[in-house]
Amino acid sequence: MSDRNDLIVLRRVSKIYRKGNENVSALDGIDLALPARGMFAVVGPSGSGKSSLLHILGAMDRPTEGEVRVAGQVLNSLPEAGLTHFRRKTAGFVFQGFNLIPNLNALENVMLPMEFYGVPAAERRQRAAALLERVGLAARLTHRPGELSGGEQQRVAIARALANDPPLLLADEPTGNLDSKTGAMIYELLKEIARERTVVVVTHGEALAALADRVLHLADGRLATNNLERTTHV
Amino acid sequence: MTMVRIGIRNLWRSKLRLVLVAALIGTPFFLLLVMQSIGDAVQRQTEILKHNVNNTLQLRARGSMGHVNMVGNEDILPQDALAKVKGVEHVAKVEPYLLAMTPTEGHNFAMVVGVAPGDTRRLESHGEAGNPKILAGRDLTDADRGKPVAIVGQGVAKWAGIKPEALGRAALTLDLKHTHPVIFALDRAPVTFTVVGIYASGYVFGDMQLFTPLDTFREVYGVPEGISWLYVRADSADNLPAVERQLRAMLGDIADIISPTTVAEFQATATAAVQRLANGGTVLSAVLMVLVVYFVMLLVVRERAREIGTLKAIGASDAGIVASFLTEAVLLCAVGAIAGALLFALWGGALAQLVFGLGVGPFLPAQYGSLATTLSLAPRFDPSTLAVLVVASVVAALGGSAWGIRQIIRLSPMEAMRNE
Repeated sequence: MSDRNDLIVLRRVSKIYRKGNENVSALDGIDLALPARGMFAVVGPSGSGKSSLLHILGAMDRPTEGEVRVAGQVLNSLPEAGLTHFRRKTAGFVFQGFNLIPNLNALENVMLPMEFYGVPAAERRQRAAALLERVGLAARLTHRPGELSGGEQQRVAIARALANDPPLLLADEPTGNLDSKTGAMIYELLKEIARERTVVVVTHGEALAALADRVLHLADGRLATNNLERTTHV
Repeated sequence: MTMVRIGIRNLWRSKLRLVLVAALIGTPFFLLLVMQSIGDAVQRQTEILKHNVNNTLQLRARGSMGHVNMVGNEDILPQDALAKVKGVEHVAKVEPYLLAMTPTEGHNFAMVVGVAPGDTRRLESHGEAGNPKILAGRDLTDADRGKPVAIVGQGVAKWAGIKPEALGRAALTLDLKHTHPVIFALDRAPVTFTVVGIYASGYVFGDMQLFTPLDTFREVYGVPEGISWLYVRADSADNLPAVERQLRAMLGDIADIISPTTVAEFQATATAAVQRLANGGTVLSAVLMVLVVYFVMLLVVRERAREIGTLKAIGASDAGIVASFLTEAVLLCAVGAIAGALLFALWGGALAQLVFGLGVGPFLPAQYGSLATTLSLAPRFDPSTLAVLVVASVVAALGGSAWGIRQIIRLSPMEAMRNE
């Protein structure tokens, strides 16, 4: 069963979307517990509910039923402002398409979540520069996204996701737009990050899934195994 | 502040879009300023009229037209009325006239008007259209006082066969014994005037007048004293009622006092027509601005849906994102306002003339036909222009962005995950 120290606990979480006149079940009674460290890959065919699970873990969407508890916060009951605060502080996002703000440079992109969180200017500049140095982009601070390669953009996006030092990092197909060599570098970076926090990665890539501490198989909105069991601790 | 800064930067994201939107928003701003300039010009004209033509009262002998040879209308004001009127507070100028009629072929009769050289030459029935333009020759001068010299309207010149090239030598003889159903004979010798100028008023009857110095008129018609009409100009239209009250108290028993209708008529016609046009144009311009901003912001929201989702996903509040978009919209409008002001400086005067000529002139009474040429429609920039530009920018930005803002608030952070 779930441990009080688990970062993520989902109980009988369901998500039903309305599509025309039909109800489509994206998630169907998910039970899941994930610890405060480690890399967890979510795999499954298209339409299996991977993205819906990520949306709900990241407070981008609310479940139709069930309870979502992340870092001690029950997301179901949080108001919109609470969800916004959660996204600022508790969850960092890495997107397949990098999603950097095109008219801000690398440093400014990384500083942005800290500005939303109210970190003082001098501190956020220092922290952003340190994060970019950590992902190997110390020499690219003032470059705009259009001046960076795909791999560099994704590393900026990872630095941005870590800006407010969230306990949870969510990544949606982070290597989907990258060549295999660059993708492998990103895997390594995420793996390293997973030593200090929870990283949940939605992926089709077997290589990335192989690096995960645990693989969550989703099919038709259901998890293939009983995931309330704490099978993995890193 | 962060999101405001992002909004400012977003303005420069696409130079081409900025140029296109500036042109699209600048055009209604340009129209707005043109409408304003027409409205202001007419307002200025009204103010000028208030201090000049339209603050004039006309006094005539009670119940009489004051024409010295007109059947039943030959009574004139006593000479001392002039001194009395001059003593009234707020009276700026007093202009005495003497009038007679002379039969002519074709137009029944012409008016003979004695007026002091330098005073306004007013036209019968069209007193507000004073000082008609001299077409040929010259106007009356002080040197003409007491001399049989005249200037005539082009209708009189045609009737008398006077050509412009003959001015100064041309003579016109009036037979004062010549009668007409409304003109009685005067037992006076014929008089021959030397015609020194021809004027054109734009009215058939206005062109059937002969102006001669007042002293000459008295001698010719044997009227040593008395006044047909007395034009009394107040120092301002605002003081006109007070002047009128004093004149009625002083001369009400012997004089009819005719109040001017020109200001009211001008305001009721020209000002009202222009105001309608200007208001309509302003509304149209404002609607155009709002529409342009609406479509631009809708396009921007659609184009940046994923970016908005991303901002929400990394912790931006709706208010912050809205602030960034509003900043961008206000700046876009401000750039449009600057573009509109530049267009206005370059072509505002020409377009104002065109709009006035096509949109206002045809709806004005005939006597205002020449207003387009007399109105000063040159572009002007003053604090009120700046205020109009600022207010219109903010209103257009807010009004045009309202729907886009609604879309922003409704956008889910899940949009960030959408891969185009």
